Amino acid sequence: MLILTSTGRIVVFAWKNFIRNAWIGLATVFVLLLALLSVNVLIGVNAMASSAIKILEQKIDVSVYFVPETTQAILDQARSYMSSLPQTSSVELLTADQALEQFKERHKNDPTINQALDELEENPLGASMVIKASKVDYYPFLMEALKNPQFSFAIESKTYDDHAVAIERVKEISQTVRYFGAILTLVFVIFSILIVYNAIRVAIYTQREEIGIMRLVGASNAFVRLPLILDGIFFALLALFLATGAIFLTLTFFDPYIRSFFDGNDPGLLSYFFDNSGRIILYEALVMIVLVSLSSWAAVGRYLKK
Amino acid sequence: MISFKNISKVYPPDVHGLKDISLEIEAGEFVCIVGSSGAGKTTLAKMLIAEERPTRGKIEIGGWDITKIKRREVPYLRRQIGVVFQDFKLLKRKTVWENVAFALEVAGETRKRIKDTVPHVLRVVGLEQKAHRFPTQLSGGEQQRVVIARALVHRPKILLADEPTGNLDTMNTADVIDVLKKINSFGSTVVLVTHNREVVNSLKSRVITIAGGRVISDKAHGKYILN
Ligand SMILES: Nc1ncnc2c1ncn2[C@@H]1O[C@H](COP(=O)(O)OP(=O)(O)OP(=O)(O)O)[C@@H](O)[C@H]1O
Ligand SMILES: [Mg+2]
Repeated sequence: MLILTSTGRIVVFAWKNFIRNAWIGLATVFVLLLALLSVNVLIGVNAMASSAIKILEQKIDVSVYFVPETTQAILDQARSYMSSLPQTSSVELLTADQALEQFKERHKNDPTINQALDELEENPLGASMVIKASKVDYYPFLMEALKNPQFSFAIESKTYDDHAVAIERVKEISQTVRYFGAILTLVFVIFSILIVYNAIRVAIYTQREEIGIMRLVGASNAFVRLPLILDGIFFALLALFLATGAIFLTLTFFDPYIRSFFDGNDPGLLSYFFDNSGRIILYEALVMIVLVSLSSWAAVGRYLKK
Repeated sequence: MISFKNISKVYPPDVHGLKDISLEIEAGEFVCIVGSSGAGKTTLAKMLIAEERPTRGKIEIGGWDITKIKRREVPYLRRQIGVVFQDFKLLKRKTVWENVAFALEVAGETRKRIKDTVPHVLRVVGLEQKAHRFPTQLSGGEQQRVVIARALVHRPKILLADEPTGNLDTMNTADVIDVLKKINSFGSTVVLVTHNREVVNSLKSRVITIAGGRVISDKAHGKYILN
C-alpha cells in the first residue's frame, strides 16, 4: 500500500515538476535534441560514406577473356572452379556465341560491321568471364586462382591490372572514412554525453530549494531522486521523439536533392534510416535513458550529501 | 529528551564551531538558545537533525544515539523533529495547503491522513482561512507560521526553530512566539534559537547562552544577558 502510494506520488511529482518548470524543461529538451541530432547527422554521414564505398566496390570486377577456340568443357571447368571459391561472390560466363550475339545486337544498325562479320567464317570473339569478389581484399587471391593449370592456358587476357590502382584507392578511401568516422563519432558521443549531463545538472540546480525542503521535512533520498530521474527520462524521450520526427521529415524532404547530388544514384540515406529506424531508436532510447538517469542521479546526489 | 555529551565540532580545516558542549533538555521544556553571531547556535541546531555530524562527543534524542546515524535513517529522525529555519522557505509555486501537505506526501502518508492533518495543523497556527493562498500573498509572520505548521505534520516531539523571527516586525514576532508557546503547551519540547532580547525576556523560560562555541550560562528562568 505504502509502495503503491509512493510510486503514484513519485510519478505525480515528476509530472508536476515537468509542467511547472516548463521553461527549463523545454530548454533541457532542446539541448538533448541538439545532442541527438548531432549524433544522428554523424550516423547518416557514416551510412552514406559506407554506402558510397559499397557502390564503388560493386563496380569492381575482373574480366577474363578466353582464346576463341576454348572448349565448353574448359569454360565450364573454369566457371565451376572459380565459383566454388568462398572468396568469389559471383561468376558470369559469356560463351563465344553469346558474345557474338551481344556484339551483333549492339551494332545492328551499323551495316559495315554486320557485313564484315558476315564475311568471316568463324566467330572472331572468344568467351569471357566476369568475376566479382565478396571483398575487395580478395582480388589478388582470385588472380592467383586464375593461374590454375586446368584452364589458365586458355586465358588470353585479364583486366585486373587496369583495376588494381582503383581497387587500392577504394580500399584506402574506405579505411580512412571508417577511421575518421569512428573518431568523429567518438568525439561527438563524448560531447553529447557532456552536454546531456550539464543540461540535467542545470535542470536540477533550479530545483535545489525544493530538494532542500524535501530533505528537511524527512523525504527519503529515493523519494527526492526518483521524480527527478523520471523527469530526466521524460525529457530524453521527448527529445528523442522530436529528433526522430525531425530526421525523417528532413530526409523525406531532401531525398530528391541528395539523389541528384549523387547523379541519380540512391546513396541509401533514407532507406538506411527507414530500415534501421527500430534499431536506431531503440539504442538511442536506451543510451539516453541510462545517460539521463545516471546524470540525474549524480546531479541530485550533490544536494543529498550528509 | 535531548542529550549532548562533550560535543565538539570542527569545520575543516580548523574552525571550531562548538567546543565541548554538554547539555540535557527534558521533554516538554521550552528552551531559548542565545548567543552572538558566530557563537555556534546554528551548528548546534544542525547537529540535532543530523545535518552536521559532531567531531567528538555523543548525541542522544529520546534515547536514540544519533551520533553516527546512517544516511537512510536520517529521514526518520527528521520526521520526529519539526524544523523551522529562518531561511527555510516555502515553495512559492505551491499554496499554503500544498506546502504543508508536501511534508506528508514525501513521507508516504495516505491521502486520508493528509486530509485530516493539514487543516488541523493550520488551525494550530491560525491560518485555516488562508489555506489556498500562495506564500507571496501572506505576511512574513504568516509565512513563518506556515513553516511551523509544516514542521508539525508528523506530530514531532521536538520543535526546533532557528531564528524564526529574524526577519519579522514586533507584531508578527509576537504571533509566531504565541504559536510556539501553544505548541509547547500541547506537550512538545521547543528549542528556540533567537537574537531577540524582548522575546527571551518575556518568555521567562530556560535560557542557554553560548559564546565562542561554549555554554557560558544556563538558567532555568533566564534573561537575555548579552549586550
Ligand atoms: N559549513 C561551515 N563550514 C565552516 N565553518 C562554518 C560552517 N558553518 C558554520 N561555520 C563557522 O562555525 C561558527 C559557528 O557558526 P554558526 O552558524 O553555528 O553560528 P551562529 O551562532 O548560528 O551565528 P548567527 O547568529 O550569525 O546565525 C562560525 O565561526 C562559522 O563561521
Ligand atoms: Mg545561525
